[in-house]
Amino acid sequence: MSRTDVHPAPATQTPRRPVRRARTSVFWLSLPLVVVAGLVLVLPLTGLLPEPGQDLAATRRPPAFLDGGTWAHPLGTDKLGQDVLTQFVSAGRLTILIGVAGALVAIGPGTLLGVLAGYFRGWVDRVISVLIDAQLALPFILVALAIISNRGSSLPVLFLVLALTGWAVCARVTRSATLAIRERQFVTGLRAAGASEARIVFRHVLPNLAGTVVALGTLQIGTAILIESALSFLGLGVPPPSVSWGSMLASGQDELSQAWWIALFPGLAITLLVLLVNLLGDALLTHHDPRKRRR
Amino acid sequence: MTALLSVCGLSVVARLADGDLRLLDDVDLDVDRGRIVGVVGESGSGKTTLARTVVGLLERNVDVEQGRVMLAGDEVMAPGVDRTDRVRGSAVGMVFQDASRSLNPLMKVGTQLAEVLRRHVRGITRAEVERRSVEVLAQMRITDPARVLGSYPHQLSGGLRQRVAIGLAVVTRPALVIADECTTALDVTTQTKVVELFRTLVDELGIGLLFVTHDLMLASDLCDRIAVMSGGRVVEEGAAEQVLDEPQQEYTRRLLAAIPSWS
Repeated sequence: MSRTDVHPAPATQTPRRPVRRARTSVFWLSLPLVVVAGLVLVLPLTGLLPEPGQDLAATRRPPAFLDGGTWAHPLGTDKLGQDVLTQFVSAGRLTILIGVAGALVAIGPGTLLGVLAGYFRGWVDRVISVLIDAQLALPFILVALAIISNRGSSLPVLFLVLALTGWAVCARVTRSATLAIRERQFVTGLRAAGASEARIVFRHVLPNLAGTVVALGTLQIGTAILIESALSFLGLGVPPPSVSWGSMLASGQDELSQAWWIALFPGLAITLLVLLVNLLGDALLTHHDPRKRRR
Repeated sequence: MTALLSVCGLSVVARLADGDLRLLDDVDLDVDRGRIVGVVGESGSGKTTLARTVVGLLERNVDVEQGRVMLAGDEVMAPGVDRTDRVRGSAVGMVFQDASRSLNPLMKVGTQLAEVLRRHVRGITRAEVERRSVEVLAQMRITDPARVLGSYPHQLSGGLRQRVAIGLAVVTRPALVIADECTTALDVTTQTKVVELFRTLVDELGIGLLFVTHDLMLASDLCDRIAVMSGGRVVEEGAAEQVLDEPQQEYTRRLLAAIPSWS
């Protein structure tokens, strides 16, 4: 630091280090996520996992590393004698699916509306901005309760809730990013060269937004997983017999005093997954922040 | 013979919340084929507004109030009339101030040239796109067109980028090119080269060039005629030497006196 105090570095050079750091952190944060997703997808295919199904003779068995546990059930069993590890893995698949697809259904319409509002301004912008403000003023739990109590809980309804609660933040961010891009000279240049508005929006503005959208999408994966967990905890998440980490957590909560392992592992998994995903999203945002990027 | 570009009595106003603001006031200007007309003035004199009106790149709240813009005898701009979308990019090309920002940073130069060509030349083949892209870069005195076509804008030097930007404007073989402060962001040596390039382009291709700049000396080097603008009006217009040597207006004299000299 003392060096920069004596000889202030030129403005174009200072941002280089955060970018490189962001790039390596993007790698190291993605790695465990890819490993987890891979394991959760591949493990059921290997036949190494204990068979799913109830075994009322072996309920609330502790994990293998505790007294009374066996390697037949590495993470123990629940109150119906189902293997926790087997459940944990299949719940993980559903949770990751909900995270990724739930982010996509929010990011897709959010980006489209944000870009339209930012590029076309005028009444389009006014209408969309009012919708964004209205959406952000509604607590998500209220929206979720209203829809789920009306339609019942199912995967499509869950995605509807995730789309409705997630699009507004994305639209707001992409709108302001588009406002900045449309004032850049190359957009004026394209208009002067006679390019159509649709072409400018889809071929030139959207690709310039890609970094921001990817980062937003990553953050949205974390949000979607948390929302689903919260809904499952309230009994409004995925309907049985599907299990997600959130619904495992919910079913384990009244057993905490006798069989804490049922709730602990999915709880830890949600925390770590969302933490990693959020850190990755932040790293991607830094990586793509135009102010921190070397031009 | 009618002028290539003819601006007659053009008045342009911006509708603001607290009343109208007149950006251009009764502007007359002609550009002939094979001629360079310089528009000179200080910031806010209306020279950029004039350039943008000709191609219809006005903000939403800015309207043509009076007068008209004729291009090769066709009316393209008049009160309530805007036919510039027919000429934009085809009959009129435009070059902007800062080439580092006037190219899409995410697209290779070749792709950007191809996009403009495909838009304006109906049914153009791949080979033809390739041929004309190389040809236009060669016209820009770029020695290795193939490398430049495969490069992203940030991989090129400032002077090279500005040549590419000019190439983008002329690749569709427009009759009129408008250059809006396009040498301002360049250093003096590169500036001279770009100015020489414009001169040869005008002579070789017979296009008309409307050259907007705040640099009176640069304009006098390059232009055949000069229009001096101030406060949205053309205060003086004439042959370059005449405006420079015998300025008729007080404003032009003050503008000339403001140029620092060694003596």
